[in-house]
Amino acid sequence: MKLKICHLYPDILNLYGDRGNVMCMQKRLMWRNIEAEITQVPYGDNSSLSDFDIFFIGGGQDFELGLLISDLKTGKGDNIKAAVNDGKSFLCICGGYQIMGRSYELRDGTKYDYLGALAVHTVSGKSRNIGNTITDTKDYGAIVGFENHIGMTYLDEGVVPLGKIRLGFGNNGEDGTEGAIYKNVICTYQHGPVLPKNPVLCDAILETALKRKYGRADLAPLDDTFENEAHDSVIKALMDRQK
Amino acid sequence: MRLFLAILICKLSRAAIRLLGRGGTSLPGKLALRIHPHIIKVLSKGIDTVLITGTNGKTTTARMTEKMLNDAGKDCFANRSGANLEQGIAIEYIANANAFGRAKKKYAVIECDEAAFKKVCPETCPKAVLVTNIFRDQLDRFGEISETINSIKEGLKNSPHTVLCLNADCSLTSSLAIDRQGKTVFYGINEGGDSLPCVSDANHCIRCGAVYNYEYRTFAHLGSFSCPDCGYKRQSPDISVSKIEYLGRDSSEIIIKEGKNEFKAEIALPALYNIYNALAAMSAAYALGISAENAAKSLSGIKSSFGRMESFIIGESRIKMILVKNPAGCDRAIEYMSGSTEKFDAVICLNDAPSDGTDISWIWDCDFEGLFENESCSKIIVSGTRARDMRLRLKYAGGDESRMTIIDDDAELIKAVLALRNQVYIMPTYSAMLKLRGSLAELGGKKEYWK
Ligand SMILES: [Zn+2]
Repeated sequence: MKLKICHLYPDILNLYGDRGNVMCMQKRLMWRNIEAEITQVPYGDNSSLSDFDIFFIGGGQDFELGLLISDLKTGKGDNIKAAVNDGKSFLCICGGYQIMGRSYELRDGTKYDYLGALAVHTVSGKSRNIGNTITDTKDYGAIVGFENHIGMTYLDEGVVPLGKIRLGFGNNGEDGTEGAIYKNVICTYQHGPVLPKNPVLCDAILETALKRKYGRADLAPLDDTFENEAHDSVIKALMDRQK
Repeated sequence: MRLFLAILICKLSRAAIRLLGRGGTSLPGKLALRIHPHIIKVLSKGIDTVLITGTNGKTTTARMTEKMLNDAGKDCFANRSGANLEQGIAIEYIANANAFGRAKKKYAVIECDEAAFKKVCPETCPKAVLVTNIFRDQLDRFGEISETINSIKEGLKNSPHTVLCLNADCSLTSSLAIDRQGKTVFYGINEGGDSLPCVSDANHCIRCGAVYNYEYRTFAHLGSFSCPDCGYKRQSPDISVSKIEYLGRDSSEIIIKEGKNEFKAEIALPALYNIYNALAAMSAAYALGISAENAAKSLSGIKSSFGRMESFIIGESRIKMILVKNPAGCDRAIEYMSGSTEKFDAVICLNDAPSDGTDISWIWDCDFEGLFENESCSKIIVSGTRARDMRLRLKYAGGDESRMTIIDDDAELIKAVLALRNQVYIMPTYSAMLKLRGSLAELGGKKEYWK
């Protein structure tokens, strides 16, 4: 078995250790003797995306996100949307999450039109929301991460959030939601990077992609002692600080 | 009266705290600033200040600059402990003044945090401002790299008479000279390779967004860059390294070019980034009227400073401490360690206190893989409030799980470190460095920095 992973815009969207998410998917496949092929698709590269099974889009700086708009219009945006509708797996973090939405509105009223692959939109907030996060999810348990964003994202009715924010700001600091899920697309504001410390989430993404491609997944269990200890120790430290 | 009171309170409280045997506190400065918010402005009058900011190399560059000034007979004071926020800086100006505000020494070498710079720069009216480089660092504090640049720009706004010393090889730093009135001294290295960094902080032109072309790179995003679209490019440096003759594990030998003048210099510190620090210090000294050739003579006698490649010999233990704060600095440390031909043990202490940066995700932007590329690295001890995050990163880097130990307790950590028989490299984040250095200095009979 083999999965082809596309790392989109590694040259621009590469903040906060997000490349660790790609490493995580690659290694967790490798450790199970499943082949993983990583392809970086940077700014300006307009090659076809139809061959990939998993897409990863990380977070970036606001001024660099502006750069992406013209690149998305060269056809890459349509290719990304086609992959979403094809049921391909996506993990989109922060800036990557925002560009999957409909639009991003700055405080001066300037509005950037983004992909609209997800029925969400983002507006710029007053100040950055920065800090550790814990999100309780139905399917992946408690997810730990770190958020750092000024954008506030609102989900259209019917769009499923990734989970409920227990500690932190989440999508918009108002409705208690964090992230969004649509088809096989998972979006979140949580860096960290999010996957290594939350192996359940990583395996879920791999499993979905394998099932879509091969009709079966059966991922062998791994020794996740280090992963779980990292996950649990952070939750414990954060909850202790709350007291 | 207010000035007198502020000085008195600061001096008294500082003396009291030292009697208690503590060093790194900003409380006296805080008190003084509360009584007299512009005390730095008042006390810096008549003093030629060099203000040093930038992501990496501030402390070492400041030590070099200080030595160059002192060697040239320009008696100076400095914030040696690395307390580089407004309060810490206020303390040094107050310590240099008598009770009536009269200055003892006429030169100051002050390192300043990038975010504090916008406030501190106008207060100190510096003769020269030196920006070492700009990398991603503690994004939980700075938000984005562009905010760091804006803070420095803001601080420089009303000081057209300040000589600005800039790293010509850093596209982010050298952009500070765009549209600025006033004198600029550029420094840089005139040769390099074509290695591409895994994660770059500046692929795209800061002015127009196009992808830079590079004639060569020295490391990370530093090198001879040019924008194919808007023409923004590396400025030809006033002081440069034309050739690196020798780059060793304890020192380096370089040929420096200033105008038509070329001369040899020896730096008593290892690695390429210390060549940049040396060039930076020379530029600052140059801005204060010291010739580059004279300034360069001070470099052969430079000692490592406070947790930056600092050595400790305790009994049979040989320990070197390398402070790490961000990916660029950490990658240099990893490069240095993995370049070792003898076996070594590594100790990594990752804390997430505000002074370390509460966001530890940067460890995933560092190439810890380098530690495991050869067999030199024997054991790894991991400690700190985020030890388990660190251990996980090392697992992904290819670290042999059985060779990694976590030690949470400080006293036990020191005990375990002293039991290691190979050369030991300790990589701590800032708050971990303060604590560990204190214990090691005591055991090794070193004085505390404030004594
Ligand atoms: Zn340009």
